[in-house]
Amino acid sequence: MGRYLGKRLVSTIPLLLVISFVVFMFIHMIPGDPARLIAGQDATKEDVAVVREQLGLDEPLLVQYGQYMKGLFTGDLGNSIKNGKTVAETIAPRLKPTIMLTFSSMIWAAIIGIAIGIIAAVFHGRILDYVGMVIAIAGISVPSFWLGLELIQLFSVSLGWLPTSGLETWKSYILPSLTMGAGIMAVLARFSRSSMLETMREDYVRTARAKGLSESLVVMRHAFKNSLIEIVTVAGLQIGGLLSGSVMAETVFSIPGLGRLLVDSIQLRDYKVVQALLLFFATEYILINLVVDVLYGVINPRVRYE
Amino acid sequence: MKMYKKVLAAALAGAMAVSMSATAFAADENGYIVKATNEDSKSSDNDLVIAIEGSVSSMDPANIPDTNAISATRGVYETLVSFDDNQELVGKLAESWEISDDSLTYTFKLRQGVKFQDGTDFNAAAFKANYDRVVDKDNNLRQRRTFIIANADGSETSRVESIETPDDYTVVIKLAKAWAPFINRLTQFCMISPAALEEYGNDIMNHPCGTGPYVCTEWEEGDHTSFARNEEYWGEKPGVDTVTIREVPEAGARTAMLQTGEADFIYPTPSDQIEAIKGTDDVNILTADSNIMRYVTLNMDLEQLSDVKVRQAMNYAIDKDAYIQLMYSGYGKPATSVVPSIIGGYEEQEAYTYDVEKAKELMKEAGYEDGFKLTLWGDNTTQEIKGMTFISQQLAQIGIEVEVQPMEPATVGDKIYVDKDEAEINMWYVNWSASDFTMDGSLRSLLYSSMCPPTSANTAYFNDADFDKDLDEGLATANEEEQAKYYGDAQKIAWEACPWLFLGNDQIIYSTKSYLSGVYVSPDGAFNFANATLAQ
Repeated sequence: MGRYLGKRLVSTIPLLLVISFVVFMFIHMIPGDPARLIAGQDATKEDVAVVREQLGLDEPLLVQYGQYMKGLFTGDLGNSIKNGKTVAETIAPRLKPTIMLTFSSMIWAAIIGIAIGIIAAVFHGRILDYVGMVIAIAGISVPSFWLGLELIQLFSVSLGWLPTSGLETWKSYILPSLTMGAGIMAVLARFSRSSMLETMREDYVRTARAKGLSESLVVMRHAFKNSLIEIVTVAGLQIGGLLSGSVMAETVFSIPGLGRLLVDSIQLRDYKVVQALLLFFATEYILINLVVDVLYGVINPRVRYE
Repeated sequence: MKMYKKVLAAALAGAMAVSMSATAFAADENGYIVKATNEDSKSSDNDLVIAIEGSVSSMDPANIPDTNAISATRGVYETLVSFDDNQELVGKLAESWEISDDSLTYTFKLRQGVKFQDGTDFNAAAFKANYDRVVDKDNNLRQRRTFIIANADGSETSRVESIETPDDYTVVIKLAKAWAPFINRLTQFCMISPAALEEYGNDIMNHPCGTGPYVCTEWEEGDHTSFARNEEYWGEKPGVDTVTIREVPEAGARTAMLQTGEADFIYPTPSDQIEAIKGTDDVNILTADSNIMRYVTLNMDLEQLSDVKVRQAMNYAIDKDAYIQLMYSGYGKPATSVVPSIIGGYEEQEAYTYDVEKAKELMKEAGYEDGFKLTLWGDNTTQEIKGMTFISQQLAQIGIEVEVQPMEPATVGDKIYVDKDEAEINMWYVNWSASDFTMDGSLRSLLYSSMCPPTSANTAYFNDADFDKDLDEGLATANEEEQAKYYGDAQKIAWEACPWLFLGNDQIIYSTKSYLSGVYVSPDGAFNFANATLAQ
């Protein structure tokens, strides 16, 4: 197990190198000149040239990539072109809101989503199944932007129970978590349902029933446990998505998260910040996949690591 | 793709029909669109919360990337001279000033007894220290351009020949060449404590220290900026204990904050939010004129657009009132010159009143009775696409087939700032606001002959020697009468030559709780909260 983890971690290094190269080249290939954006529309060609030189953008692309890689290994990711803050200073304050929201959204979405999925599968083709799937389709279909604003209107403006924005108290997490979790709840409900339906048709479930086990034991111990692999895979991907920030929810609820930072930085062609964020997101996905793989073994001891 | 475009066009037309029919609420002479019916409403605390759309992306007043950063830094920092709420130049840290007849020597008498927030004295040496910091190339500050000109050969020229400090409270600035906008530019040159600069260097943005009415207590970019009243302030102290500027990008969320009382002041208020807010009885919605000029540049190097008759015809073919109604629910004014009326030296020009018949006649005279095709570039926001679609529909009336090409803003920039022989631009839907409120700042980079791309933004490729001369003469004199003559002449030349489609000047809309006073938005979009008071 330890060796497996070590091997997996080492194998991420070439992957991250490839990603860093692709990200660097892509972001520099998008049209748009950060020097011009910074200097302003009315700046003269000379003013823009001065800014370009100060930003180090006058060097050939490969030289810039070399400098970037050198920085990466020495821990110097450069500075944001917007205000000169270091990339670490720019990203660090955005992590906490994003992580807190990821978990507060994920927890309720997973509990409710999986519960709906199981109930729908158990009562397959009956009214509870339809009710569950209507909830799931609604969760997927409602645009989070609209949902967020409607929740604010109801719970903040009309009822006055919850704050409209910010993340000062636990109460302020409720509306954004509901907004961000709705779609995930729906995805998990649908996946749990289909996965459960599949396992419930398996021979070992029929055997369990034939042994005379109670239905709840059959569902939870035999069917659900075997469906978990698929559910965990999907949930892992969803966590990855949430950790990359949610532009919509962050915008509606004025949350300074990673999603808005990425969009703002792309618009400003703040290369250093965009590169760091994308590399960070890629690492996140790799690590989550690793955790999911490890969980497979926990869920199903027959899974062996090599 | 074609189908997609058709669907998009239909959707846009639908959206326009809806917004065209929306009733606008006219503002009264004091700028109120909606006046609170409940004027006895009280604030529950003495803490002002301002919710704004964008981000306060810098707290270093010499390195300001946007208007919100101007607003926030002005809580902490002050300048020698500033604009008051009537856009008149007044002394702030300077008690008085004199400009020599040759417009080269500026003598400032500084206010005495003013201290920075760290206890350092404000004096002539402090001014000099700030100047030295800004012009130092290594500091890489945006404000450097106020004092240094970059030349085509890579060399640099200083606008300032010398700065002398004959005594502690006198600063004498000698310019190398007369430059009329200089005094206006000084309204953006903030004084930072020299001791703090010594200690923090360019990290001063994380440790703001000025002479202003507030002390910055926290700056969390992307979320909020907080201030507390400066108890040692030399002038009239603010009425509120603290100020928090919250960044709330979504208009509906700002509106909700004002309704619940979580915010006392929100800016901007998009006109489609007025209906939602006006039911709240203790809210005022106000407008102010802006320095924003909306226009479409016409590439005069193109054969079809080289004839002034064609360009005038295009201006006649646009219903400017409908444009303002459609785009800003009526909160704006059709353009009456090449600059907004708020710019110093503005002179009203004879309107190109909407007249399709006259436009068709001019097209016929120019030999383009059957029209021609053009492309129109602009940003890809919903609002900009709406404006461009409107222009294309209006010009279709006189046979000009306009293909609207919205692009991501940085991409537009890339396509525009190219060498002249590579220029593909036909028309550009754009806007401009001169933050120094000068005629030169409004016109030079947009219409001066040597400012064509890639040098700068003269995308009309307008080239008129008399116009250039007027701008140069205006720049070289500080005599207001002479300047008015040159600038009046320049406006007339550009207006008659029609290098642009002159569209309009929109208005700024903001909303406040009725118990808040002393906070307002300036025409450049910066808000001022120095004199804020909350009724309790």
